[in-house]
Amino acid sequence: MDGLWLIPALPLVGFLILFVTEGRLPNRVVAFIGAGSVGLSALVALFAGLDFLEQGGVPRAEHLWTWMAAGPFEVAVGLYLDGLSLVMVGVITGVGFLIHLYATGYMADEDGYSRFFAYMNLFVFAMLMLVLGDNLLTLFLGWEGVGLCSYLLIGFFHQDSANGYAARKAFVVTRVGDTFMAVGLFLLFRELGTLDIQAAMGAATLAWPDGSTLCTLIALLLLGGAVGKSAQVPLQTWLPDAMAGPTPVSALIHAATMVTAGVYLIARTHDLFLLSPDAQLAVAVVGLATLFIASFTALTQRDIKRILAYSTMSQIGYMFFALGVGAWSAAIFHLMTHAFFKALLFLSAGSVILALHHEQDIFKMGGLWRRLPVPFWCMVIGSAALAALPFTSGFYSKDIILLTSFDHESGGAWFWGLAALAAFMTSLYTARMIFIAFFGEMRTEPHDHSGVNMWLPLVILAALAIGGGWFGLAPVAAVLPDGGVDAAHHEGAIVWVTALIPIAGVLVGYLIFGGKQLSVRALVESKTGQSIARFWDGGWGFDTFYDRLVVRPFLFLARINKSDVVDFLYTGIAAFARRLNIVTVRSQTGQLRWYAANMALGLVLALLLVFLAPGA
Amino acid sequence: MTAVSVPIEHVLVLAAALFTIGLVGVLVRRNVIFLLMSLEIMMNACGLAFIAAGARWAEADGQIMYMLILALAAAEVAVGLGLVLQLQRRFDNLDIDAASELAG
Repeated sequence: MDGLWLIPALPLVGFLILFVTEGRLPNRVVAFIGAGSVGLSALVALFAGLDFLEQGGVPRAEHLWTWMAAGPFEVAVGLYLDGLSLVMVGVITGVGFLIHLYATGYMADEDGYSRFFAYMNLFVFAMLMLVLGDNLLTLFLGWEGVGLCSYLLIGFFHQDSANGYAARKAFVVTRVGDTFMAVGLFLLFRELGTLDIQAAMGAATLAWPDGSTLCTLIALLLLGGAVGKSAQVPLQTWLPDAMAGPTPVSALIHAATMVTAGVYLIARTHDLFLLSPDAQLAVAVVGLATLFIASFTALTQRDIKRILAYSTMSQIGYMFFALGVGAWSAAIFHLMTHAFFKALLFLSAGSVILALHHEQDIFKMGGLWRRLPVPFWCMVIGSAALAALPFTSGFYSKDIILLTSFDHESGGAWFWGLAALAAFMTSLYTARMIFIAFFGEMRTEPHDHSGVNMWLPLVILAALAIGGGWFGLAPVAAVLPDGGVDAAHHEGAIVWVTALIPIAGVLVGYLIFGGKQLSVRALVESKTGQSIARFWDGGWGFDTFYDRLVVRPFLFLARINKSDVVDFLYTGIAAFARRLNIVTVRSQTGQLRWYAANMALGLVLALLLVFLAPGA
Repeated sequence: MTAVSVPIEHVLVLAAALFTIGLVGVLVRRNVIFLLMSLEIMMNACGLAFIAAGARWAEADGQIMYMLILALAAAEVAVGLGLVLQLQRRFDNLDIDAASELAG
């Protein structure tokens, strides 16, 4: 089958149609084109995947055309399908289609229906180019493309300037990471002479010894790009603000796909990280720090979407952590299960928010479980998977990560202990969200009027969130160095403890927020308790820090340089000419005799010059 | 030919004097008619210098130039007198300083 190019082409066509018609199509047609193009793309991807598995998992490359050729620098636009990109394509088109379907209902009452689906289709196209490109430059094209769509969709409700600010913040902060990545790619090209992923990875293994400084540098630069895109410490501050966008956008871009691009990048270039244990350790540390910070922050948030945003951050932290400790396949496995359950959580939260007329504060919800059964049960299932309760998909993926981290040669027990503590916090904040938002007394009256196009994706995603982890993840085994997800070699107490931690978290959560048997009032209302809560709530001071370090100095410089220093040269020339004009205009008296006198004077001077000049 | 000829220096001094008189007339007189007359004197001064030079070096060029100046002067007077009429019609006098509308 040669139709690999159809997978990204279909959403692109959808985008072009919606873009060219500029919103003149009726909503029905827009929904059909917007969701249909991604649905078709998902079907093609399904057939391509079945075909791929039937052939025994042989990677397939499809050369499309030569993008540019300049001497030794030649970039081909080609697609490359192997186990890793297959999983990514499956998540993007499959989960993407469900979210598009949901959005046809969710966005029904909003202005700019067509614009929304145009951006969404463009996003799916760019994301598919990112994961299917066989060349790091094609990957970078998709990488910037999804960044642009993320910007456009965060600021979708552009009438409110706060949303525009959030969009700019996301764009600028990820740009910091992208710059690192671009420098990394330049270095890679200078050293290896190619940007073709397979060729470059092969050449890198031959060219550099283990732990070479250059390789570490390149790997760290790529990590910088991944950190920006995937909202990891220290570039994580944009993600909570990105929740300003419509909820389906948060589900698709800021939970299921775009933010996991960093994980994909590192998995794709894993040869570099294998060559450089230091860089790989840095990946683990970044992941662990994010995981830790984000899960504590999520515990103090009030906005349901911000809770989910911080939990996304921490789950991607898990993936980075997994990559860092060498559980490569488990990272991608967790990427997939996370896409299922986090999309489910966001979409159910979206249904709740819509039923409550855009109320996002969980303390203004309460008692919704009887009134909104479908979102409630979906939310419970998603939360169970997020907290990694046994037999849900999240359990399988997270379990392997934790157990693998225990085996890490430098500080395995520490890694395991911190990650397990964060896992406990995860189930605690998840329980808090469920018990406060859905139980207790009802504080806002819900009005549910969602159609089949909204609850069907929820049900399918709920099924995936439970069963998505039962069968492991065979296709990536051939691509990633650890040979697939398998942690069966662990035995004894560690397995049981790892499995029971989430349950303990939920139980403690129930005691505090559900049944109120356990009171933390004294702790919360104490002085230290309150300042800690404020600290966590502000995202551990990162925003304040960047505000002091970057934003304020920049604004200060902008203020003192209001009349641009560089402009002085040009405004100076103009001012000089104007001055000169004032002087010379006096000679224009309009009197003929005055002109004649001047001419005579000039002639006399010229003659004097001729006669008195030396050599005359 | 031993005719008594006037030295060229004398002729040139006369031409320069005439030219200066004309120039001063252009600069100090405000009446347009006098202006035109002064211009005529300046042109004739030039013509005289050409004639003298042509005679001194026995070349026809000087006389050709004088013919040119004559034609030029005739054309100038035609245009000049037309302008004088227009000035009289617009400003009701012949003062050249009244027509100073191009002042910057």
